[in-house]
Amino acid sequence: MINKKYLVIVTFLHLALSGFLFAGQEIKNSSFPVTYFQLENGLNVILSEDHSLPVISVMVAYKVGSINEQPSKTGLSYLLENLMFQGSRNVGRMQHISFIQRIGGTLSARTDREKTIFFQTVSSNQMATVLWLEADRMKSLSISYTKVEQVKKAILEEIKQKKSRNLFQNSSLLFDKLLFSDYIYYHPIIGEESDIRNITLKDVFNFHSTYYCPNNAVICITGNIDKQKTIYLIRKYFQSIPAGKPVPAINQSSQMIDLTSKTESITNPLLSTPGFFLGYRISPPYSKDYYTMSVIEYLLLKGESSRLYQRLAKKERTVQKIEGGIRKIKNRAIFSFFVTSTNNYTRNRSKKAILSELNKLKSNVVSENELTKAKNLLKTAYIKRYSTSLGKAFFLIETFLHNKNVQTFQDELNKYLEVTPTSIIGIANRYFNEKSILVNIETK
Amino acid sequence: MKIRPFIPLLIMLFFNPFLHSQERFRKYPPNPEPFPSLKLPEIESQTLSNGLKISVIRLTKIPVISLQLIIFSGESISPDSLPGLATFTSKMLNRGSLNLSFSEIEKTIDLIGGEYSVKTFPDYTVFSLFFLEEYFDSALELLSQMLLQPTFPRQEIENVKRNMFYDLVSKRNNPEFAGKKLLYQILFKDHTYRKIFFNDDIIKKYSLKNIQMFFNKFYCPNNAHLVLVGNLSLSTASRKISSYLNTWKKQNIETYHFLPPKPLEKTKICFINIPGLKDALIFSGSSLLPKTDPEYFSLIVLNQVLGGTPMSRLFMNLRESKGFAYWAFSEMEFYKSCGIFYIRARVRPDVIHSSVLESLDEIRRISAQRIPVQEIEQAKSYLIGHFPLAIQRYDELASRISEIKALNLNEGHWNKYYENIMYIDSQIVFKSAYNNLLYPPIIVIVGDQDNIIDELLKFKTVEVYDNSGKYLYRLTKEQ
Repeated sequence: MINKKYLVIVTFLHLALSGFLFAGQEIKNSSFPVTYFQLENGLNVILSEDHSLPVISVMVAYKVGSINEQPSKTGLSYLLENLMFQGSRNVGRMQHISFIQRIGGTLSARTDREKTIFFQTVSSNQMATVLWLEADRMKSLSISYTKVEQVKKAILEEIKQKKSRNLFQNSSLLFDKLLFSDYIYYHPIIGEESDIRNITLKDVFNFHSTYYCPNNAVICITGNIDKQKTIYLIRKYFQSIPAGKPVPAINQSSQMIDLTSKTESITNPLLSTPGFFLGYRISPPYSKDYYTMSVIEYLLLKGESSRLYQRLAKKERTVQKIEGGIRKIKNRAIFSFFVTSTNNYTRNRSKKAILSELNKLKSNVVSENELTKAKNLLKTAYIKRYSTSLGKAFFLIETFLHNKNVQTFQDELNKYLEVTPTSIIGIANRYFNEKSILVNIETK
Repeated sequence: MKIRPFIPLLIMLFFNPFLHSQERFRKYPPNPEPFPSLKLPEIESQTLSNGLKISVIRLTKIPVISLQLIIFSGESISPDSLPGLATFTSKMLNRGSLNLSFSEIEKTIDLIGGEYSVKTFPDYTVFSLFFLEEYFDSALELLSQMLLQPTFPRQEIENVKRNMFYDLVSKRNNPEFAGKKLLYQILFKDHTYRKIFFNDDIIKKYSLKNIQMFFNKFYCPNNAHLVLVGNLSLSTASRKISSYLNTWKKQNIETYHFLPPKPLEKTKICFINIPGLKDALIFSGSSLLPKTDPEYFSLIVLNQVLGGTPMSRLFMNLRESKGFAYWAFSEMEFYKSCGIFYIRARVRPDVIHSSVLESLDEIRRISAQRIPVQEIEQAKSYLIGHFPLAIQRYDELASRISEIKALNLNEGHWNKYYENIMYIDSQIVFKSAYNNLLYPPIIVIVGDQDNIIDELLKFKTVEVYDNSGKYLYRLTKEQ
């Protein structure tokens, strides 16, 4: 029999030494310190200390979302998100939630096109408990036929409820389909009903073993942490989790099919008001043009005094609701508008007004004052993103997953603030062109 | 022996994580470390010569400032004939000044990277402005325009009336809103806090004259307090505020003291019919002590045990054990002259009567039997663990300070919060439950009458109201 005492000493030494060797590099930037390193099993680790309050946030992101799903197998990533709360080897069903709630913490999870994230904010003395919980479901998630069927049933019910609540769901899916053209970019994140019914235990096993492994994940801990102790705990709980096979590349066409202008209509007799979606493809996220487009988003749609809100909602009063802006998925981005109006006449007037505002951007120079206003709103929103420990974790993970350097993110804000009135004219002309997608939503 | 039939089984066994050995530390959750000390930033305060109080919390984390202006007058002092006037007046403040139109005010707020909002509470009103720190002067300039030279343009009065009207109309059939409104209406029947909720038909009665009257009477520096969170010192803040607001004139202010409402003599069951509602909502409430009372801390521990989270007794009983409810919680709200305690639950329409009885039983149980130590400690852990989570954002922190200043709470609600919670034990909670929760409650049921009539008839008498809170008729067993 192995001597237990010997095992404890060896484990401790190993953890302590490896923690020392992999302590990572810290770069101090003007806003907050960030440390990044990788464990031997490929798990990416991002830490950021802030001792202002005894609070920490722990976020684990798996680089898997609906973009990794194939036709007829949609909904797997969302199903896995749900399954991650159904218990693992040492944590019972839903116990993860009760552990966090009992200590006054908050938690949630989210699946989008590119990632599935699990996050919790707790008092900083509870860090080991959260790491224990997250490591347990990363290492030994319990997947069984009964659990998969239970989760499928709950998701099917959720789809039913979503359909009755969101009357614009079909039109929004059609809009995405026309704009993105690649299936992996536009199928519903929650999954197609028929696909979910047909998901088998084997599908779930395969999907899980492919994507839910440390080499496809990033853990970010922000807040009141002691860096050395945190590194020690991360290694203790995560380093012995075996790496998975290399993660397959997503199955997308290398280039998007060129967009031709299209107008389609969709009728929903349950709706009481008509509306439309209007969209354009723009340059990839964080490309040079993207920063100018972000400032345009603020000029047009953000803040009470933004151009479209002032004109459509306040002066002409032709809209009930106007929303929109940039949406980015992986290396693609679009700029869209969504409007609902009380009748067809006001709906059509709103459409014309948006096009006329886009034309103004193409030919008239934006005043210095208005540009400063848009940039300042953008700056506040940017800063607010890292004003809490959880916000900071979101911010760092988003930065990391877009292959940006988490330690030099501060430069990013300057790229938005350097946008000039001339570049706005150029970018508006380049992207708000005739290649647009319009989906009219009719009431009957 | 043929092995082929067993291959799938062997594969399953091989891949089954439960059969592999694991490190010992994975088996049980680690022991938590002791609670870290909570060192809250210091609140520095000063009063200007015109009576305006200023509190500054210096934080350097992000380059923004959260400013909150408290006016120590809320909905409770709206005239009896014009409930909602305090709310309406507060919504008019950014609608135009002598030099700036509403649209120019909006532009200025956007220009400083700002966000503006206003909320009227029963005892006070808070104006919040969040902006980039380099625009501190612009923010104060804007604030002085709004406070010293508001014009309340007629067109904007009509616009605000329209927004308020549609907002209330859209909430009419919201069961949560209708239920809580009726609970307040009956609980505060003869008390000024009934004005917290008002009907849409009153909105047309607000006029420029009564807005000005309310504004002139209550919006003065000696009835206000400015709270600032950001990278600034008290001396800089005071100097700048003084230069922008020194002409804001001090005046005599009437002070109001309201007695708590009298408890009900017997339980009252009320019902609101909302056709088409699939489930039923239950509200069961009574009045409580104010937040300034030393019993506050034991009350919040008590609430945590009873119904603060999905781990609490009400949720565990009504949902997890009996399967009656989708959710069941208890809430406590605290005002200057009293508080309110209520249970809220969304239940299956066929078990309304049993759900009401179970809820009342939980109250009786917690008021008659001492809570086991473990349950109390768990509730305390929750409250202590959660406290710092809720003050991470500058605006959250500013709101907490605003509440402390507005309700005149002592430092026990700020930097002695942990100690005050730690001090609570089973005996103290038991006393609080006995003193506070045993008054006959008002029970409001919201549902579709056609679906739940059998359940309603299980109660001796039910008073029926419409969704605006108007009494219609009485339903008794004999009918």
